[in-house]
Amino acid sequence: MGKPIIEFKHFSYRYPNSEEIVLKDINLTIEEGDFVGIIGCNKSGKTTLCQSMVGILPFVLGGDWDGEIVVDGKSYNETHGEGSSDVIGIVFQDAESQFTQETVEDEIAFAMCNFGFEKSLMRERVEYAAKACGLWEMLDRSPYRLSGGQQQRLAVACILALRPRVLLLDESTSQLDPQGRDEVFRLVEELHASGSTVIMVDHNIEKIAESTNKVLVLHNGEVVDYGDTHKVFANKEKLNEHFVRVPQVTDAALAIREKLVGDIVPITLKEAEATFGNYKREG
Amino acid sequence: MERNVAVETRDLVHVYPNGGVKALKGVNLKIYENDKMSIIGQNGSGKTTIVRHFNGLLRPTEGQVLLFGEDTAGKSVGEMARRCGYVFQNPNHQIFCTTVKEELEVAPKNFNFTEEEKKAEIDKVVEMMHLESILNTHPMTLDYTTKKIVSIASVLVFKPEVLILDEPTGGLDEVGRRMLTQIINMMHEDGHTVVMISHDMDYVAENSDRIVVMSQGEVIADGEPKEIFLNAPVLERAMIAPPQITSLDLFLDGKGEAALSVQDFVRKYKN
Repeated sequence: MGKPIIEFKHFSYRYPNSEEIVLKDINLTIEEGDFVGIIGCNKSGKTTLCQSMVGILPFVLGGDWDGEIVVDGKSYNETHGEGSSDVIGIVFQDAESQFTQETVEDEIAFAMCNFGFEKSLMRERVEYAAKACGLWEMLDRSPYRLSGGQQQRLAVACILALRPRVLLLDESTSQLDPQGRDEVFRLVEELHASGSTVIMVDHNIEKIAESTNKVLVLHNGEVVDYGDTHKVFANKEKLNEHFVRVPQVTDAALAIREKLVGDIVPITLKEAEATFGNYKREG
Repeated sequence: MERNVAVETRDLVHVYPNGGVKALKGVNLKIYENDKMSIIGQNGSGKTTIVRHFNGLLRPTEGQVLLFGEDTAGKSVGEMARRCGYVFQNPNHQIFCTTVKEELEVAPKNFNFTEEEKKAEIDKVVEMMHLESILNTHPMTLDYTTKKIVSIASVLVFKPEVLILDEPTGGLDEVGRRMLTQIINMMHEDGHTVVMISHDMDYVAENSDRIVVMSQGEVIADGEPKEIFLNAPVLERAMIAPPQITSLDLFLDGKGEAALSVQDFVRKYKN
């Protein structure tokens, strides 16, 4: 088991001027090196959970809360979220609305300028982030003249330059075409492989099944399921009950189990090609 | 039976200002009344550019666009939008009123609906799309998905003969997708034409009777989903991956009709 990096302990939250409790007694631990997918229908609390993880809620936008969130061993109840950006970097859904600078290079450097980084360190980090995100050839370009996939990669680069240990992406691929979406998934898979902890909210069940090792299912502000990606997706009834579907190949495997190879219910195309091997028609 | 043409493009060329690149390279396309179709292709293939000509949001650089047989040249967007409604991909580009209710009233007012007609259409859409609780909310305070639903609702209230949906499933959850399917089917059953632009192949495969594939400003294929998703060279050229279940079926069989949904697949392999 890895070291806990983010812990929710009986955390509940209510927005300012609202009666509704949108996160209800959340208990969960994310370990260093995890790639966690967060799924659930709209208004299940996914974005609220993300914003709580970085301390925007309740410490910037207000609201009432109970319980605590501990990040890298420090309780937000004591730090009030200060220093959270050293550990967690968040990328929002709409990348374009985050941009303020005229060039890709300035955009990547912007947060570092605000944090007062040394110029030489900034140059080094811009190079690192731009290369990691495939933007090295586009440093002079305006962020607004990039494709959707490039813009999301730029949003990731801006965060990556700060070298957070946890990368949190809140529906960052929902407005992208398949190429753009695959670019972002490939990038975070690489970052995960090189040691980053990744947390990703996404509606694309097939991609979540391919990339993550754990899945968190939220519904009405409660954790419905959390654990190994295979185990979570094998429980179709439970997911469907909460308006979440399983990958298409999983659905098919659960419907036709007679001649499947092995005990594992496939959740990716590659796994399905193996488990459905007995169905292959030659010629 | 010969069907009436709703929209037709004739040798349509479009070059964006300062672009120099032909976004559309002489496209000839007929969309028939009551089609339930999708236009697919990677970004930059010309999907959005072509549909924006249907009600005059963009004008041809060369060639012609006909809406119900009439040349769109010289006609205002306002005149054509009544018959051909367009739901933008990004709801932030469409929504501008200060409450959801006002947003829903814009088109019926512009199109001179009577008070009774306006109320009846809005009430119907509000009920179907569960918007009761947010009618007095400022649209910009809504989350992206709800804004998207509001943007669809604001076009649905005037029931255009041709409904264009640009990436309608982006950001929608399963509940939203089911609602969208219900809307598309309702419009189709009522005789309307539905044109969807989408990257969501699972959704396209299950919700279209016809698919047009575009690549680099040209139509490279036009047919039923079962034909299109079996056409490997076309998919490769357009850089499109079929739905996951279709890919599995192609791996296992590769012949006959491709399974486009889990139900198709189970039916094919169950016995």
